[in-house]
Amino acid sequence: MSAAALAALLSERHGLAASRTGEAVTVEVSADAWLAAATVLRQAEGVCCAFFDWLSAYEEVDGGLVVLLHVAAVPLRHRALLRTRLPAAGPAALPSLTGLWAGAGWHERETHEMFGVDFPGHPALTPLLLPAGAGTPLRKTAGLLARQATAWPGAHDPSGRARRRPRPPGG
Amino acid sequence: MSTPEVPSRSRGVIALIEDNCTVCMVCAQECPDWCIDIRGHPEPVPAERAGGRARTRNVLDVFRIDFSLCMYCGICVEVCPFDALRWAADYAYAGASRAELTHERGRLQGWAARSNEGS
Repeated sequence: MSAAALAALLSERHGLAASRTGEAVTVEVSADAWLAAATVLRQAEGVCCAFFDWLSAYEEVDGGLVVLLHVAAVPLRHRALLRTRLPAAGPAALPSLTGLWAGAGWHERETHEMFGVDFPGHPALTPLLLPAGAGTPLRKTAGLLARQATAWPGAHDPSGRARRRPRPPGG
Repeated sequence: MSTPEVPSRSRGVIALIEDNCTVCMVCAQECPDWCIDIRGHPEPVPAERAGGRARTRNVLDVFRIDFSLCMYCGICVEVCPFDALRWAADYAYAGASRAELTHERGRLQGWAARSNEGS
């Protein structure tokens, strides 16, 4: 169905905060409604998004984590983006969606190792890509080893005089 | 098979015009990848006439760009106050090791023969 119709269906029949931008439908939920909203996207009549596209996250400047799920219904020709925000102060955990889409398994493993988000209910939340001891590299608190190990070339001053210290771009 | 023609304004490689470089360090400071390494030292320039003031000028010792890190953003070319860095269209400088992708000042000067004036 069209994005407008899907947004209307999700908000009117299922009480979800669904909005439409062009052909994209975004559903914004609180963390405790994550599994319920995903279940609607997977199983609700007329919605039926059986195609799991991706699940990932990004960190906001204040340390909050936004977790996103993108799914589609291929025969019905619509797709939806489910979005939630985990505040920095709270627990970084969301129920696993592997019960709805088996394909979420690897995406949740990657989101777990890159951002430290827990997915209770996941059958085996082991690292997917990173070696042991790599930390959570996509969080802003994780330092970039190459920058820590390398001296900034812009610090050299040919005149040898002490001047106001310039900083590398971005601090 | 002949090599393809690329526009003269292409960002193939960065050329150094050493005569223009004053070792001001701005390109090395602004490079987001930290791929420009510069070393220089001051040398005295005697006063031009009796009673005049001796000056110093910066002499370039080392200027190298690590193209394995360079992302061809052009910030160094844009920011150089003296037009000592220019884009050149040469792109065929693949190397067999990472070390071969670091170009020292002589090689950077060499690109200048085919560099792009005023780009």
